[in-house]
Amino acid sequence: MGRTLPSATQVFMQEEAAFARFRRALRRTDQLALDDLFVSARQHLAAAQYASHALPFEVFLLAMLLEEHKEVLRLKERVEDILSRQK
Amino acid sequence: MTETISGWLFDIYPNETNLTLWLIGEDGKRHRFVQDFAATIYAAGSSARLRALWRWLKAQAVPVHLSRLERKDVFQGMVAVLAAEVLQPVKLDEIFRSMVAAFPDLTYYDADISLPLRYAAAFGVFPLARCRLEVRDETVVSMTALDSPWDLEPVPAPLRILSLEPDCDPAHGEPRAIIVSYERVRYSLPLEKRVPLLINLGADLRRYDQDLILTSWGDTWLMPLLMELCKESGSMLPLNRDESQSVVERKEHTYFSYGQIVYRGRQVQLRGRWHLDRHNAMLWSDYGMEGVLEMARVTCQPVQDAARLSPGTGISSMQFVTALKKGILIPWHKHQAETPKTAMDLLRADMGGMVYQPTVGLHWDVGGIDFVSMYPGIMVRFNISPEVPRAGTDLEPAPGEPGIVPITLAPLLNKRLALKSALLTLHRWDCRRPGYQALASAHKWLLVTCFGYLGYKNARFGRIEAHEAVTAYGREALLRAKEAAEDLDYEILHMYVDGLWVHKEGCKTPADFEALLADITERTGLPISLDGVYRWVVFLPSRLDERVPVPNRYFGVFQDGSIKVRGIEARRRDTAPFIAETQMAIMEILAKAEDAEHLKEVYPQALAFAHREMQALRAGSVPVEKLLVSQKLSRELGEYSSPSPVARAVRQLEEAGKAVRPGQRVRFLYTRGRPGVRAWDAPEQPDPRCVDVKRYQTLLKRAVETVLAPIGQSVDGGKDDECRYLFPVKIAEPLGEGGTQRLDFLSISKVNNFVNGGG
Repeated sequence: MGRTLPSATQVFMQEEAAFARFRRALRRTDQLALDDLFVSARQHLAAAQYASHALPFEVFLLAMLLEEHKEVLRLKERVEDILSRQK
Repeated sequence: MTETISGWLFDIYPNETNLTLWLIGEDGKRHRFVQDFAATIYAAGSSARLRALWRWLKAQAVPVHLSRLERKDVFQGMVAVLAAEVLQPVKLDEIFRSMVAAFPDLTYYDADISLPLRYAAAFGVFPLARCRLEVRDETVVSMTALDSPWDLEPVPAPLRILSLEPDCDPAHGEPRAIIVSYERVRYSLPLEKRVPLLINLGADLRRYDQDLILTSWGDTWLMPLLMELCKESGSMLPLNRDESQSVVERKEHTYFSYGQIVYRGRQVQLRGRWHLDRHNAMLWSDYGMEGVLEMARVTCQPVQDAARLSPGTGISSMQFVTALKKGILIPWHKHQAETPKTAMDLLRADMGGMVYQPTVGLHWDVGGIDFVSMYPGIMVRFNISPEVPRAGTDLEPAPGEPGIVPITLAPLLNKRLALKSALLTLHRWDCRRPGYQALASAHKWLLVTCFGYLGYKNARFGRIEAHEAVTAYGREALLRAKEAAEDLDYEILHMYVDGLWVHKEGCKTPADFEALLADITERTGLPISLDGVYRWVVFLPSRLDERVPVPNRYFGVFQDGSIKVRGIEARRRDTAPFIAETQMAIMEILAKAEDAEHLKEVYPQALAFAHREMQALRAGSVPVEKLLVSQKLSRELGEYSSPSPVARAVRQLEEAGKAVRPGQRVRFLYTRGRPGVRAWDAPEQPDPRCVDVKRYQTLLKRAVETVLAPIGQSVDGGKDDECRYLFPVKIAEPLGEGGTQRLDFLSISKVNNFVNGGG
């Protein structure tokens, strides 16, 4: 059906493709970590679509950061949990 | 002398001078009447041109009645028009064609509206409407409708149905006989003996005088064959009840709709009787005969058309009837273009519904909540119509008179809501249930397409801004629902355009979700309902990358044990029946589990069942028919650069002289060696020994893993402290194309010492 603009998923895939050269030059292990960042941004495509930001990659970066922060919070809680058990 | 007759309106079509009308009388008789009827075309343009048109029309042989009027155009307001009432309805198309050829510069309205729709608008009737007629000498003087299409339980018309079907699928084999059945009679007529076939069938058609001939492959094979036989032998088969009319034939065609290629077979329609072909009726498998009749009643399309037309045409017909009743002009060609927008406006407006990425894994006690017919509901509640100016995105109705779209949809939506609430209260075994369900699913298709038609550039009452407004309101409503749920401490597992999946510790019964439903209705003004409470539901990840969730692939079990499945193999029409059935059977075994403990017990049973089926496949004890894959030919054979399996199967059929058009489904088997497929409808039967068992094993394995992998993960103790009911899904190994890459944190820290301090 006729859409004038690409959807957030399409934009996301274009952005990911635009980093193909960057990814290629990375070490394999770094490539895998980079893939993970993109995967984490994918979790928020619906929000990125709704944001309808003129510079969508900024939104994807924020989504990556969001997932990273969630992971930090999770790990922090775990560490505190482990430390409290040791006491 | 005038007499009064009541009955059900059966058929309307033009004859040489006026309209022929068939009525199934309450006395049980089938009556034929005639009625004078004028069809009006409007033309707008400069006064000089309209005067010229007036003179031109006066000079035509067809009688017309002319007048100058002002009428409302949806997009331009009141316009001055020349109204031409064509008094001989059968000549309508002919006179319009020559009118356009002579005056191509004028704007025409109401030009291509079919006579049954015009008739329906003029008298407030519809197919199978109960009505009262005043008749003088077989001519209808007046007509009054006694019921409305919006009645939940209309008095059903006493239809006589005769069924004709060949003894096998004519695409697959060579039928040898035609099976005739009606009431308690059932017999078969051999096709070899052609003269007795025609004589016997003819005698029965006359004796039983059925209203409906229901066939299998009647449009594409049976009726053309019968007509051919009649021509050869010079005899007459009384297919039409009206013998002065000939059988109407329409050609096959292929078109593109909603990203899919669609094939419509040729059609054979009768006069004074109906012919319906189960295999050439839209959505017959969804709603059957009752749905077809409902489609005709609500859209005012004649039954034979309603059965074969797409729901999109149905919704347009409803809008046309509303417009005709309201005296609103229906443009012949729409000239409305999109209004200019800034790039930022476009960025904000050009979006669809909100589709979230679900939290992948197995979840217990999940409420599935849906807005009821969200988009049509938005159009009706917020008065969204092409001619109504829009006021902001706040959930407020647009001011002013209701537009043509909400007026058309409101009664249909209300009937659907009434049916839905009736279905909720009816007992599971109530005999009204299947009928109500058929009606509800007919309405569903009409309501689904009405949204698309609002944005379709060729739709006469379409306007892209109205279409965008609907999705904008939809996003707003979904977000408000999310906020309502989160304010009440629910966790949002998934959202999909008009539905939410939510979980809250301790919420297990429908009553537990009532407060949430009330809050959402309060915040959005739209009706919302609980689809059900899932005992458990699994949201699946993408096939290509297990870390990526996909929105519409899930399966789950409601509290009453019924299973809901989306996007997995069992739902897909191209899955071999054996694989779909195995997957469903596995889910039925799992569905018995009422809690997590119980799931642990049934899981090994499901696994054992899957193993048995795999062995049956290996041993060759699965019937070949169960392994047939059915796929659509998506383009012309010559357009394939590397022929897909379906294209290879089609090539085999073409070699055997059977033509396949894009959009048609082709059934085939995967076979060993080249070309790897065997078309099922090719002349020689495939050898069961050449079935590509390996390929089917892979397909089965994939289907089994889809349902068992996430369950197994939870049963084998993949429990994570942080999420009590979420178990990460791991698919045992990537299948076929596209593998998954896993991240190994240990190896990162080892290799990355270059960054971490080794430098």
